[in-house]
Amino acid sequence: MGAEPTAGMRWIDCNARIGRWSNPQPEQFWTSEDLLAAWDDVGIEGGLVYHAWSWEWSPAHGNERVLRETANSDRMWPCYVALPHATRELAPPRDFARAVRESRGAVRIFPAKHNWSVHDWCAGALFEALESQRVPVLVDVGELDWESLAAMLQAHPDMPVILLNMYYRVDRWVYPLMERCENFHLEANTYGVFLGVERLAERFGPQRLVFGTNLPELEAGGPMALIAYAELPEADRRAIAGGNLLRLLGEEE
Amino acid sequence: MHLKDYALTGRPVDDAYIVDAHAHMGPYFNFMVHEDGSAAAMVSVMDRLGIDVSIASPHIAVTCDYREGNRQVAEAAREFPGRIVPFITINPNYPREEIEAEINSYHEAGGIVGFKFHSSLHSTDCMNEGYTPAYEYADEHAIPILSHAWNGPGGPMKVVGTLAERYPNIRFVNAHSSSGWQVIDNACALAEEFDRVYLDLTGSRLFYGALERMVDRVGAERILWGTDNPFIDPRPGLGRMLCAHVSDDDKRLMLGLNAKKLFRL
Repeated sequence: MGAEPTAGMRWIDCNARIGRWSNPQPEQFWTSEDLLAAWDDVGIEGGLVYHAWSWEWSPAHGNERVLRETANSDRMWPCYVALPHATRELAPPRDFARAVRESRGAVRIFPAKHNWSVHDWCAGALFEALESQRVPVLVDVGELDWESLAAMLQAHPDMPVILLNMYYRVDRWVYPLMERCENFHLEANTYGVFLGVERLAERFGPQRLVFGTNLPELEAGGPMALIAYAELPEADRRAIAGGNLLRLLGEEE
Repeated sequence: MHLKDYALTGRPVDDAYIVDAHAHMGPYFNFMVHEDGSAAAMVSVMDRLGIDVSIASPHIAVTCDYREGNRQVAEAAREFPGRIVPFITINPNYPREEIEAEINSYHEAGGIVGFKFHSSLHSTDCMNEGYTPAYEYADEHAIPILSHAWNGPGGPMKVVGTLAERYPNIRFVNAHSSSGWQVIDNACALAEEFDRVYLDLTGSRLFYGALERMVDRVGAERILWGTDNPFIDPRPGLGRMLCAHVSDDDKRLMLGLNAKKLFRL
C-alpha cells in the first residue's frame, strides 16, 4: 500500500459554478476570474463549470453563457444543463449530445429543481443520445430519489453518471448501485464516510471516484485533503484527483 | 512549510498540536461505519493526519446506552493513553442516583475532562433536570460541556444565559457551529453574548468563507476544531482548517492550543 505524500498531483474539478446567483454571501464570488483565483489558491488545474443562469433561470440562456465564458479558456470546460426533449427548449437530443461532446463538455441535470423525471417516459430520448456519445451526466444527490437514480442507471448502462455533493449516510444505497452499475461514479468532495474513499476504491475500483469542490458554495481544501490523505496507492489518488474525470471527458490523463 | 501545504500534499501535520475536540467511536445504526469505527482504526487515521488527541464519546453513549459508551471510551483511553480521551456522556432520562453514581465513578477513576450532551438524540433539551448532576460537577471543577445543541425553552440564548448565571464556572461548547450561514450567525451571536461559550467546527461541509467570518467575529481563541470521527471521516475537516484564509498562528489555536487549555490536556 503506497500512501506517501504526493506533490504535483493534477487536480481537475468536476463541480464548479460561475455566474450571479440568488443568495451569495459577502465572502463568496461568482466571476470566472475569481473562480480561477480560488483554483490557483489550492493548485487546481481546471475543471467543468456550469452557469448559475442555467440552474436558477434558463438552461438555454445559461448554456449559451457558459459556452461564451469558457470559449477562450484552457482551464474551464462547459458543463451544460440538460432538459428532456419534449418541450423543445433545447436542441434535439442528438444535436445537443454531439455539441456537448465536441466542446469537451459534460451535462448536469436538475430534475427536481427543473421539474422533470429521469425515467424513460420523460427523459429516455435525452439519455439515449447522451449515452450514445458517452457524455458524462452529473447530478446532485438531492435532485432525485434513489429509486429514480437506479432506474436511470439501469436503463442507460453506458452513460457515465457522477453523483454530486454526497454525504456520509449513503453507503447502504450506494453500494448496491456500485455492484450493479459500472458507469456509476461518486464525487468525492463531501463523501465523508469514515475510510469511505479507501474502502470504495478497494472494492469497486478507484475509477469510480471523481474529485470536485462545489466552489463557490463550499471551500476546496476539505475535498482535496480527503484524497491527498487517502491510504491508497499514488496512482489511485492521482486517478481520483483528476485522471478519472479527464478519461470520462475523453481527454488524455 | 505553511500548514496549507500539509493538506495539499497529504503529509501528517508535524508542527502543530492537534486536538479533535469532538470525536465519537464505534458503529452506528443509521449508516455503515468501516472497521466498526474502532479506537484502533481512529488512532490509525489520527496518525496518518497528525492528530495528537481525540476527545471522544462513543455512538452508543449518544444513542441507547450512555453507561456502556462511557465504559467503552474509558477502555479505549487505557488502550491508547494520551491519544483517546473520554468525554463522559450523560443521558438525563435515567434516574438521578444512577447519573450521580456514574459521575462519581469516573471522578474517582482519575477525573473528568468534559461532559458530552446529545439532547437531540436523547429526545430532550438542555434544561432537563437530569442534567443537573453534570452541571453541578462541571461548575465545581470548571470543566467544559460539549452539547450537540443548547436547546430548550426560549432557544440557545435563553438556555445558555440561564445556565451561565446559575453555574458561573462552566464552559459551554456549542457543537456544529459552522454548518450553515444562519447557524454561523446564531453561534457567533451566542459567543459574542457569553464569553464562556466556545464554537466547535465539527460538520460534514464548510461554506466558502465561513471559517473566516467566524474568526473575524469571535476570534480564533474561541473556536475549537473537531471532526465527528468516525461518524464522519476527519480528513476533510482537517483540510478545511489547513487551507482556510487565516494565519497559521490562528490555525494552531483552533486546531489544538485552545482545546489543550480548555480541557487541561
